[in-house]
Amino acid sequence: MNLNEELKKIIVKDLFLEDITWDQIEDDAPLFGEGLGLDSLDAVELVVIIQKHFNVEIKDMDEGRVAFQSINSLASFIKERRQS
Amino acid sequence: MTKKEARQWTSRSIGSAFQHKIFYVLIRIGGWRLAYLVLYFVALYYVLFRPSVRKRCGYYLSHRFPGQVGLQRLKSCYQLSLELGKVLIDRAVVGILGVDRMSASFDDKKILYDLISEGKGIIFLMAHVGSWQVALSALHFLKTPVNMVIHREEGDVDRHYFEHRSLEWPYRIIDPEGFLGGTLEMTDALKKGEILCMMGDRLFGNLKNTLSIRFLGEDALFPFSAMKIASTSGAPVVVLLPFKTGPTGYGLRLARVIRVPEGLGRTGDHFLPYMEEYVRALEDFTMEYPFQFFNFYDMWKRF
Repeated sequence: MNLNEELKKIIVKDLFLEDITWDQIEDDAPLFGEGLGLDSLDAVELVVIIQKHFNVEIKDMDEGRVAFQSINSLASFIKERRQS
Repeated sequence: MTKKEARQWTSRSIGSAFQHKIFYVLIRIGGWRLAYLVLYFVALYYVLFRPSVRKRCGYYLSHRFPGQVGLQRLKSCYQLSLELGKVLIDRAVVGILGVDRMSASFDDKKILYDLISEGKGIIFLMAHVGSWQVALSALHFLKTPVNMVIHREEGDVDRHYFEHRSLEWPYRIIDPEGFLGGTLEMTDALKKGEILCMMGDRLFGNLKNTLSIRFLGEDALFPFSAMKIASTSGAPVVVLLPFKTGPTGYGLRLARVIRVPEGLGRTGDHFLPYMEEYVRALEDFTMEYPFQFFNFYDMWKRF
């Protein structure tokens, strides 16, 4: 299972998304607002989820702005942090 | 439903910048006594000749005092406007003449010490009652950084007390209109064990993150974001309600400590029991201090 797929499954399960399955999430679709439709409170949960599953911390708004654009950007962020 | 439609309230001031400056001058000349004296007439003018002021007071007063009409209602409207004016003057007095001009008492220090020692931060869930700024000055003993979730609009000419003398901001401001509603900054503050202050009685963002809860006899909308953040971070929620005790004194009531379990899910229903606790505390407060609740918009509006 590649990282993108793993992320999608975790997001659907841990954020209790009911009206979408992991394979319906597009890699480059926005996570927030239009796209997957997550909102600001989901962002709080997502920060914790990423830390719990990948041991990667999203510390502030600047990092969140980069990481939370799409599944692709989130996967890149996690990979980058794991290497550093 | 757009953000603007969901958010019925405004932080814009009723008076102009010039009118506010007159009060600042009065405070410098004659302290709170002179400013209060003038306020009695100014508040009367606004209540008698500004229908919009009576309308804005009426949303709350018609729920708090449902049987009141005519002169009785007008009197309540005057009392409410007067109390708001006093709170604004007190804030300016602290800013212009010094923090020592106003005393703020707080009896539950040990509870806060214990909570802060847990290391998960604390969410102070407050409301638009009394003067939260003066009240926060009673919490300096904690020596923990404070983060205040606050949004200011153009046209809000009220100065925070520290702005009168260009003092350093005593707390960090998180704008809920910022990126992802400022939630990442909020989480980050709690992770560092800091204090996060939020208002639980005004809507931000969309209606999805609100709960309909009975308040003063009718269902009103309340945001549950504080409870969600508490559930995610493990931080305790402390309901803090400041109240004016006299011309130069404030009290700070620790009304509830609410523990929200982790992993409650995504929808508001899971957070209902915890938000209900907050609303009950707020309702109790309005019973005891009916003219210190300063939400001048229709909280009960149905969308």
